[in-house]
Amino acid sequence: MIELNAIHRAYRSDEVETTALADIDLSVQAGEFVAIMGPSGCGKSTLLNILGTIDRPTSGTYLFEGEDIAKAPEAQLAKLRRDRLGFVFQSFNLIDELTIAENVALALAYRSMPAREKRERVDAAMDRVGIAHRRNHHPHQLSGGQQQRAAIARAIVGEPKLILADEPTGNLDTENGAQVMDILTRLNADGATIVMVTHSPAHADIARRTVHMLDGRILSAVRRAA
Amino acid sequence: MPRLAWIALYRSLTRDKLYAALTIGGLAVGIATFLVLALYVRFETSYERWIPRSDRIYRVDTAVQFPGSPFNGAYPATMAGLFEMMREDFPGLIGTRIRGGDRAIGERGGAVLRGGVATTEDVAQVDPSFFDVFALPMVQGAGAGALADPTAALLSRSAARRYFGSADPIGQTITVSMDAPANYHVVGVFEDLPKNSELHLAILIPIPKTPPPSEWTWYKWGTASVATFLRFETPEAARAFAAKLPPFIDRRAKVDFGPGASRWLSQPLVPIADTHLKPMGSESASRQLMVATLGTIGLLTLLIGIVNYVNLATARAGLRAREVALRKVVGASRAALIGQFLGEAIAAVAIAALLGLMLAEVGLPLVNAAGGTSLAMPYGWALPLLAGVTLVVGLAGGFYPALVLSRFPAATVLASARAPGGGNAGARLREALVVLQFGLAIAFLIGTVVMAVQMRHLRAADLGFRREGLITIASLADPKIGQDQARTMLRALQALPGVQSVGTANIAPGGEGTSNIDIVEQPGPPGTGPMLRLVSVGPGFFDTYRPRLLAGRLFDNAHAADDSSDWKRWNLGRNVILNRQALATLGFRTPEEAIGKTVGNPRPRTIIGVIDELRFFSARTADTGSYYMYTPNAVYLHIGAVRFTGDPRAMLDKVEESWRRIIPQVPFRGDTADHRLADLYREDERATRLVGIGTGLAVLIGCVGLWGLAAFSTARRVKEIGIRKALGASASDVVRLLVGQFLRPVLLANLLAWPLAWFAARTWLAGFGDRIALSPLYFLGASLIATAIAVVTVLGQSLRASRAAPAWALRHE
Repeated sequence: MIELNAIHRAYRSDEVETTALADIDLSVQAGEFVAIMGPSGCGKSTLLNILGTIDRPTSGTYLFEGEDIAKAPEAQLAKLRRDRLGFVFQSFNLIDELTIAENVALALAYRSMPAREKRERVDAAMDRVGIAHRRNHHPHQLSGGQQQRAAIARAIVGEPKLILADEPTGNLDTENGAQVMDILTRLNADGATIVMVTHSPAHADIARRTVHMLDGRILSAVRRAA
Repeated sequence: MPRLAWIALYRSLTRDKLYAALTIGGLAVGIATFLVLALYVRFETSYERWIPRSDRIYRVDTAVQFPGSPFNGAYPATMAGLFEMMREDFPGLIGTRIRGGDRAIGERGGAVLRGGVATTEDVAQVDPSFFDVFALPMVQGAGAGALADPTAALLSRSAARRYFGSADPIGQTITVSMDAPANYHVVGVFEDLPKNSELHLAILIPIPKTPPPSEWTWYKWGTASVATFLRFETPEAARAFAAKLPPFIDRRAKVDFGPGASRWLSQPLVPIADTHLKPMGSESASRQLMVATLGTIGLLTLLIGIVNYVNLATARAGLRAREVALRKVVGASRAALIGQFLGEAIAAVAIAALLGLMLAEVGLPLVNAAGGTSLAMPYGWALPLLAGVTLVVGLAGGFYPALVLSRFPAATVLASARAPGGGNAGARLREALVVLQFGLAIAFLIGTVVMAVQMRHLRAADLGFRREGLITIASLADPKIGQDQARTMLRALQALPGVQSVGTANIAPGGEGTSNIDIVEQPGPPGTGPMLRLVSVGPGFFDTYRPRLLAGRLFDNAHAADDSSDWKRWNLGRNVILNRQALATLGFRTPEEAIGKTVGNPRPRTIIGVIDELRFFSARTADTGSYYMYTPNAVYLHIGAVRFTGDPRAMLDKVEESWRRIIPQVPFRGDTADHRLADLYREDERATRLVGIGTGLAVLIGCVGLWGLAAFSTARRVKEIGIRKALGASASDVVRLLVGQFLRPVLLANLLAWPLAWFAARTWLAGFGDRIALSPLYFLGASLIATAIAVVTVLGQSLRASRAAPAWALRHE
């Protein structure tokens, strides 16, 4: 499904050039659950952002379902994100001014489909993560675990092929973290491809493959039997 | 303010220079606009207040109220003999007449003759008691009592320099011509009159004790040829005198008006300070309206600047929440914080006020050029005003941000990663303020469009004659010119190469000449009947103006009854020509129906022709029905008109050259008809330009504010934009979102602007007899322009925000 070849990402500030990713090769098959681990600043999130097309590599190729999108125009990437990707962030990234239901519906806002169908899909997604009873609340009225479940509902409402999760349990306590991992496992079992950045070895173990990173490079990939 | 507070202010201004430029710059432009327009209002309302004891001086007007007369209204003059009669009946009355030298009445000044050649001068004949009323400051000699000598003259400082250079003017002789040339000796010099005066006095000479031969209206009630001023020590005395006037008029005006003359004629007393802005004759109160409009625009532009300041200040207030929280933690009281932010606001407004003053000084020459004014900034007036504005705006503008900022709860602010932004209420207030700002700006814009279109309409209006290729010579009507001299002049004009025809009439385009009304008596009680303007025309008039003939024929020397030159034969029945409106006034349905009919009882007038309107007067005065009489042997009291081909400038020079050769004793006064007509609307054109400038600046400040708000709001929404983009929003989705957010208040602003502008435009247009219809297109057009400007203003930032990489945006706090 995903094929990264010689991906390089450098940030330039005034004088310093920092290499965030160097020579990354990675492939992810459809239906996989991949965990990315590594210390802070090793490039995990940058890699995830590039996978999610919300950041661009400085050089290298990125094949998404066989198509090179490393240099694709922004409009095409927006369409790709809209139709095939779902994001879950560590800090949830819910919009305070909108209710939970509206936040979830935001992922469908840029698609043309009948309003009724949108409503049904939003309800279904919220049901699936057990947040439907909080639909009319604002994010700051919810606990962290509830917020993250809402964020997952938003990520899956568009029925994406690939879910990208950036430390989805990082801001949660153990119990809430476990609940979120349960949801992700279920989604993977239902056929979604998941790439997750995590600091938690326990949560990484749930994934079928773990990629270890250090200083912008991939050290090793551990594959477990399903 | 303590030192640290100054540092905080300095840093908050320099940290974000763009923000400082927007808030302070916007307010400075608002203050500059307000200053300049306040200066204009101050100038317009300061007329005659410079005269010592001006609050005791009253002008006597002549107000006519005939049922159905188009000439109804108050005129700023009286019959020449009125003051004599008043003094006979009310001994001890203090007052003076000014004959000539007052351009409000018409260009009735005289001339100074040197070497047989006359030059126009602001000569005024006044009563010896002039200085009892107008205590003009003297440079040399004494004013009071000087004019009891019938050959004495007083000169203004600049007139003295003009005629005698550096020599001592006292005792010199000067030849002045009013009714006829005469020699006067200079007995004194008075200071030049300031610009804020309707009086134009360069030479004062005594008014004749008996009427000059040409002045048959000297004691004719209902005429208005001299300005009469009275002095009363108290307003009560003035009121008491005014109460005695109706019986006086009934007693004295019986000769011309019959019994009960005060029903139709009154002589109201107007305080001299009110005279400049008072409407004249049948004109509407357009000057007052204009001064009020420009004053309002100044105030509202200042308001827009203040709104801008408040808006950006509250929007930015949240960014200083952490500073506020920390100050609270170290023990600042709420009052101390409010004091700090109010102090900051006042300091910022003071900077804006200084900048505004500079802008106003820089802009004044431009405004003077556009508005035809000669405004200057008096600092004794401007600085206290600015200090007041600074305090008021500083307190008003700083109060809300100070309140919001000082209310932030310290703990929450310090604990949270995000800065509070005044919440939804703050956002709603800002949106309401943007609605107010743009509402006013759009209303101004609509007003400017309507004024510009109306002015264009007036310039292009069909006047019934071609205004190009036409020169009028007003000085031909001077009574000092004899019949033979006038005829010689007309023949010389006819002989000039390029001249097609030469005609004369007692009126000319631009409103010059004499206005006569005539009652066309109907069978029934005497004195009733429709009123028409009586126009007396000489040979060549119709050839020169070429009106459309609707029925019948024009005047012709072959018909003896066409000639009305000898008024003693009028009772025998004369032929007249009507215009279209007179047709309706007299009750004829078609032009053909009127031909051959005779109207008027003691003086039968037979209608031989009907022409379409020739519009010589301002569209501000209602058009009147007119009839034309042919007076080929009275051309010397007529204004000349020359129809020509070729360059107008060259033709005017040639006409003036002939004039100097044939009639050197009277100064030449002539101009192209299109100049004279443009003069009618000069004040309106100026006002339109001033309103246009005010509007431009108001829109500019509005845009600056919108730009600042968009910058602020976009910066705050960076993260949201990142989320939306991660969820698949395209760049155009984001632009649409951001532009839409700002479009809503701008569209709402139209709801505020339209009724406001409609009401104002309708009031202004009501002052014109010939006016454009208030089309919805002006409203839609102005709104479209404002909306387009607003979109362009926020588009740049929206585009930039939409292009930012979402990964960066998501990290943004």
